[in-house]
Amino acid sequence: MNRRFLAGARSGFRIFLPLSIGLIPWALVTGVALTSAGLSVVEAMGMNLMVYAGVAQIATLPLIVAGAPLWLIGLTALALNLRFLIFSAAIAKGFHDVPLKLRIPSGYLLIDGVFAVCTERMLSVRDRHWRFGYFLGPSLWGWGLWQCFVLTGVLGAGALPQDWSLEFMATIALMVILVPLSKNRAMLVAALVGGASSVLLRGMPLKLGVIVAIVIGIIAGFVAGRVLPERKEA
Amino acid sequence: MDGIWLWISFALVSMATHLPRGSFIVLGQRASLPPAVQGALRYAPAAALAAIVAPSVFVVDGAVQPFNPKFAAAVVVLMIALRWKNPWLPFIIGMGVLLGLRKGLGF
Repeated sequence: MNRRFLAGARSGFRIFLPLSIGLIPWALVTGVALTSAGLSVVEAMGMNLMVYAGVAQIATLPLIVAGAPLWLIGLTALALNLRFLIFSAAIAKGFHDVPLKLRIPSGYLLIDGVFAVCTERMLSVRDRHWRFGYFLGPSLWGWGLWQCFVLTGVLGAGALPQDWSLEFMATIALMVILVPLSKNRAMLVAALVGGASSVLLRGMPLKLGVIVAIVIGIIAGFVAGRVLPERKEA
Repeated sequence: MDGIWLWISFALVSMATHLPRGSFIVLGQRASLPPAVQGALRYAPAAALAAIVAPSVFVVDGAVQPFNPKFAAAVVVLMIALRWKNPWLPFIIGMGVLLGLRKGLGF
């Protein structure tokens, strides 16, 4: 723990803070879903601490409760989480000089929002302490916020206004991250193709369409980056 | 489902989450992707975010329906995010538009 680490943590936290409010409705929804599926408070929070991935938790819950075969539960979770393999590979270089005992918890903490916000700086900043702080600050904040509001959802299920479309706040948060990324033309192509493919492939089983759409979007962006003339980023 | 099976399934979902997440971060120098793949991965965040967002904006009850309250709210959010740096504005106005259309006009 030193000053450069703390400076990095502060910068990362400040960038992630407004976006992190998008986690709140998701966490509340997840907490309510865990309780309504019939889990006790200990079971719900146990799963939440072990998995720490809202989409995977909500999607596998019906299978788990219905007593589906373990291979189906595992495969469904894996399909939903394959994007993290891509994220992990994309951000890994930013951890090349970080000790193993810190890299293992870093993997546990890697969530979509932090990845989207931190990756660019993680790959460009040379100061190891500042860089690790820049990842850990927002990651720990996101983790704490997530646990608190899932617990709130678990304990308060039933008392929340269920017709307020609060889950749309998560969509808004993802859009707010997406907009500055897409100011580069090739990135915009990747986003448009990825989004359109995802809509077209929504019927694929086990949510596999999302993964296929991401791969198609990446290929489209890569090709566009080669073909389109370079343009200064705004 | 019995208690022990419940916890076994939690452990399984946990592994299916944290093996992909930790993979390259933990392996570090011992595993790396070819430079072309790394270049392509720069597009992963944009493609993934769009792939997650698009269906929740364009799809209503399993069918593509471009003109719905969420789409209207998304367009407004997009315009605000392009125009102003204020981080709270998209949430306040986006939710305002969605709830206004849903509750006020009954869409």
